[in-house]
Amino acid sequence: MTKLDFVEKYGQENEPYVCASCGNCTLVCPVYSELKWESYGPRGKLHVVKSIIEGESEFGKDFAHKIFLCNLCEHCTSVCTTGISLDRFWEVARAEVRERDLLPAPARFVLKSVKERGDIMWMGSADRLLWMEGVEELVKGRILKKAKVAYFLGCNVSLKSQLHDVAQSMVKIMDYASVDFTLLGEKEVCCGAPLSWAGNLKDINEMAEKNLAMIRELGIETIVFSCPSCIQTWSEYSKFLKEDKSIELLTASQFINRLIREKRLHFEEQPMITTTFHDPCISARVLKATEEPREIMDEIPGVYHVEMDPSRQNTRCCGSHGLLDVVDPVLSSKIAERRLRDVTVTPATRIVTECPR
Amino acid sequence: MIYSKDVTSLPDLAHQIVSPRFDVITQPVDVLSLQNLVMYAIENGIPIVPRGNGTSGWGGAIPTRGGLCISLSGMSEILYFNEFESAVTVETGITWRDLLAFLGRLGFTLPVYPSSATAATVGGFVASGGLGIGSTRNGNILKQVLGIEAILPNGKIVRLGKLLLDPKNDVLKERVDEGNSWLSEELSDAGLGSPEQETKLFTGTYGTLGIITKVTLKTIPNLQLIPFTCSFDSIADLARAADRILSDVKPYFIRFLADNYTSKLRAVNEYESGKYILTGALLDTIYQNEDNIEIIKTVTDEEKGQILDDKRAWFYWSERLYPLRIKRHGPSIVPAEMLAPMRMLPEILEKTKAELRNSNVAIEGTLSNDGTTSFMVWILDDERKKVSFTIGWYRSFQIASLAERFGGLPYAVGLWNGRHARKFYGSDVYNNLKVMKKKLDLNDIMNPVKVFGGRVTIGRESMLLGFLLGFIVTMIGGWVLPGLLNLGWLNQFLSSSLFQFIYFPILGLAGLVGGLVVVLITRFMRLNQALAIGIPVLRILSKLLRR
Repeated sequence: MTKLDFVEKYGQENEPYVCASCGNCTLVCPVYSELKWESYGPRGKLHVVKSIIEGESEFGKDFAHKIFLCNLCEHCTSVCTTGISLDRFWEVARAEVRERDLLPAPARFVLKSVKERGDIMWMGSADRLLWMEGVEELVKGRILKKAKVAYFLGCNVSLKSQLHDVAQSMVKIMDYASVDFTLLGEKEVCCGAPLSWAGNLKDINEMAEKNLAMIRELGIETIVFSCPSCIQTWSEYSKFLKEDKSIELLTASQFINRLIREKRLHFEEQPMITTTFHDPCISARVLKATEEPREIMDEIPGVYHVEMDPSRQNTRCCGSHGLLDVVDPVLSSKIAERRLRDVTVTPATRIVTECPR
Repeated sequence: MIYSKDVTSLPDLAHQIVSPRFDVITQPVDVLSLQNLVMYAIENGIPIVPRGNGTSGWGGAIPTRGGLCISLSGMSEILYFNEFESAVTVETGITWRDLLAFLGRLGFTLPVYPSSATAATVGGFVASGGLGIGSTRNGNILKQVLGIEAILPNGKIVRLGKLLLDPKNDVLKERVDEGNSWLSEELSDAGLGSPEQETKLFTGTYGTLGIITKVTLKTIPNLQLIPFTCSFDSIADLARAADRILSDVKPYFIRFLADNYTSKLRAVNEYESGKYILTGALLDTIYQNEDNIEIIKTVTDEEKGQILDDKRAWFYWSERLYPLRIKRHGPSIVPAEMLAPMRMLPEILEKTKAELRNSNVAIEGTLSNDGTTSFMVWILDDERKKVSFTIGWYRSFQIASLAERFGGLPYAVGLWNGRHARKFYGSDVYNNLKVMKKKLDLNDIMNPVKVFGGRVTIGRESMLLGFLLGFIVTMIGGWVLPGLLNLGWLNQFLSSSLFQFIYFPILGLAGLVGGLVVVLITRFMRLNQALAIGIPVLRILSKLLRR
């Protein structure tokens, strides 16, 4: 038998044996849908781990690469017939890949970037203010201000210029609804999620704590996120949040929906458009926040909403999560294309989503 | 390896009689490529095993002599649906989940589907038969099959029963006509009916007579679904309530969970843990459902049970597709399931608990409309503990024997229950199946050893053991027998001085021959004979070591 420390270290030693090989996971896996080889699907990979434990295979470069061909989209976990938390398993397997120094170059870059720059794109803290262009008046005096609500943008929304309008719209909405909110501005750092995707589980709490220390100091009760993965990471890895349940973590749509229910947001009639909603994997399958975005759209006059198939908990991954977009961009875009095909068979002219990837 | 196993893990010892893996996995995408594959296998004498997603536990889709695994997952089209005929025709690699989703969008559902519907294929369940969701009202899945298309072990394509297809898209018509006329003659020679009447030859027989490629299934309107769940303190109360609900309400589905099952369910609250749960669903018009749910409440109350709220009822309804969650308590399982009369439920449960008192078990079952219940015993074990896991497999056969004692049957035949096949299918049907197997599959390449038994592949270790056994027995025999048989001249010779030079080499040679004879016997050993030797050995070891 080959000693695989990671399975025991993280309490995963039973999982390869609990698997019933039913194939539920493989049937929904976005990577398997494209590559069609069993060894790229969750069932196949779990089986390889079992054979490594039993000394029939090696934990080599090839297997390490396969571990990273995964979106960590939680679909396999949500359908597993024996209740294995497969995504946690892939994360600890990535930690083992890192231990064995077999990380793919993009994952190594992400780890370095998060450690040295505090973000995933080798930018810097000053760049976290660029999105404020055009909304300077609305954010003036809000950075590190004491408030009940904090808006946590996350790396993608603050640093990718094509997503700046997400943050700009969010502050406009909060301002319109007279929400007393604060921003961490250039002091905001990565939530730590990319660390788990790149196999560094032990430093996530530290990354979360860098943000949470400020949040505690500002007396914040509710944190609103643009990125569902940030919520998932903090809920799972922040020691502070596990003990102290007084801080509420909400997705942007959950918060906006609340504002509507409190009658703090009103919509005006607008020309008719048909929309369809792409559920982000983590929102739908982990946070179970599938209804709030739909309720918001139902409230907006002139918006006619149609469902994509699959949707809600069965949503199909966009292909970008879990570092797949940097480890294998071609595969990632093929998965994205498959999701876009789901849209083309609907009459929708707009895709609405809360996924920042 | 994934394709060489089903939901259970076999002990290493099992691979002394069946091969541990296929030589090649194939995934044909249409009937013609599958036909070519079968022809290739025939020409080269390669065994073929058709496979859905391997979600059963009876060994029907695992290798016995290596060969080709034909995974049908690549053939998953929905070919025909007609609401007026209440029928849908599909390729057999489609999962039940996808078919249910398709029908659901049109306001229909299936009369029966398996509890493994999320991954199981239509072909897998139709080829193995059995009870599933909906069986409480509609019986066995095989009753829902209107027609099939299959590829015979000689490569011919045939259609049996009433397979509904759009004639405009039927590219196989000529080949099917040829195949059907040939099959008609063969059936008539065997004294059987026409292909339209003999669908049952190919359904429920694990693809031993042919690979099912298309199926036409009955559909039903998706009326109002109301799940219900009641909990009881004793199995006797539950059985009485179930009996009354079955006769008064005719629910779509009823399943029971024994105390040792609910005590292991993670998502069960404190009140339900360790109770006996009766759960199911009504599928009727709103008015009928309103009346029926009242009857269920009254019956539950009168039989000392408690009806659970809607939230719990929906929880148990969604859990119907996840019986394998129990595997977490293993992490391995040894499957044991029987079909037994429902009235015997309390006695069987008591007896099973007594027989498996030293084992970690969880028991559940599905009630059928013919007074029988499937009685699933999940024996939870750990395959990493090699010795105890191997010996523990005896318990699966123990439950099959228990079923017989109660006038029941093993739930399925597959690979391991072949010795019960005659009783399972009925003597006449089994004889017909055997006749047709000989006619269609002379070289025994189509899913060999399943259902009908057959020669097993003896592993090296077993052959070596057999040789040693033969050698030692012959040596001892040669030494002791002359004395026992009172052969005076031989005894005289043994005590002579020549003995040292002649008798030992002769005895050694005889031992060698004895060893080889045993090896030869093992080479021709059939599965049932191997099990007849193995099961008692496991039984003795089990009694010795588990004590």
